[in-house]
Amino acid sequence: MFGRLTGAAKALLTDIRRTFQRWQRGRNPPLPPLINAGVAAIEPRPAQATYRPLQRVVLTDGVSRTLFEEYEAHRREEQGQNETGWMLLGLRKEDEVVVLATLPAGAHSDAGVAHVHFNQCAQAIGSVIVRQAHRGLNAVGVVHTHPGSLRHPSDGDYQGDIEWVRNRRGQEAVFGIGTIGADGFEPVRYGHQPRPNVQSLGEMMLSWYALRSGDATYRPLPVAMTLGPDLARPLHGVWHEIEEHALELERLFRQQRGIKFDVLQSAEKPGLSITIPVAGPEGAVQVVIKDHICRYYVLRDGDILLADCEEERVDRGVYLLLAELAHAAVADRQQSW
Amino acid sequence: MDFRPLNTLERRQLVDALRGNAESDRAILMDRQDTSFVGVVDEIPDEEVISAIKSVPCHY
Repeated sequence: MFGRLTGAAKALLTDIRRTFQRWQRGRNPPLPPLINAGVAAIEPRPAQATYRPLQRVVLTDGVSRTLFEEYEAHRREEQGQNETGWMLLGLRKEDEVVVLATLPAGAHSDAGVAHVHFNQCAQAIGSVIVRQAHRGLNAVGVVHTHPGSLRHPSDGDYQGDIEWVRNRRGQEAVFGIGTIGADGFEPVRYGHQPRPNVQSLGEMMLSWYALRSGDATYRPLPVAMTLGPDLARPLHGVWHEIEEHALELERLFRQQRGIKFDVLQSAEKPGLSITIPVAGPEGAVQVVIKDHICRYYVLRDGDILLADCEEERVDRGVYLLLAELAHAAVADRQQSW
Repeated sequence: MDFRPLNTLERRQLVDALRGNAESDRAILMDRQDTSFVGVVDEIPDEEVISAIKSVPCHY
């Protein structure tokens, strides 16, 4: 009897509580989850954008020029029969990719007449440099050349690319194939598009494809062009320096916060500048690399001091200099005590 | 003091920004004048790009 009475009372209380909550919700709409819940409890929704299968690739005119000009220059080289290529950086939109920068395969790439493996260390540093000012750029695709007339990625390409695209945004990427031979089209001295996915200039052709995770084969991808730069083109002038010091530069980039890279333009030949901030007013260590020469400077209170350091390894030179500066700072403090 | 509920779009953008900040260290932008929320920078982490570049397979 007492148990039934207790149960009825509990049910009544629950009903009253629910009624009150309904009335309260009607009177005061629930506060946004930001206020009444922690971030983790916010309604589930992926933060990343929605990506649909690519409908086209858009190249800036700067990027198109780079690809054709450097392809042409490569053909004239002694090793012109070897394959070459470029890493493409750009923006992944909902259903298209806009390519805004090219990173060359590099002279230190592993290349032959039937394969090319890019100098990835140099390209990684190249991406760091170009992304200093363009944080939205991502790796969106790869272009490589075939010495023959095969205008489609090979089976060997597919084996690697199908794994690579799994970790790209939208699980898809863009692939370009450079070939020589107009394939029945009349070679012309201006760029044109004999097919929606093919660009042609003289004898050179670039054929564009998309590959999405799970695809059985590459899909021809229409290519369009828009006005715009190749944001990485200034780097191509110092690519030799980047390749020579790529490992050291990557180590510095990972270990030194605030490191800044610049391309120094000059009438003769551009150089690569690396600036590492140090404690003190307007203090920094700067390294300028041109050809095989590394020069070290200390910037302090608006003055530029040339350091007597002949270290060829940039990271070692920087740390020797930082150690020297730290030693001098300790000595100064002891004197002031 | 007045409290204005965020509209659906504002709420969604703020939630996305907080989630991006918590999960991927993305910056949240603030108006200098009144400290209100003014969106996010669509930044791609360096590590994502470097990892993509270093994992490009050999091409044939």
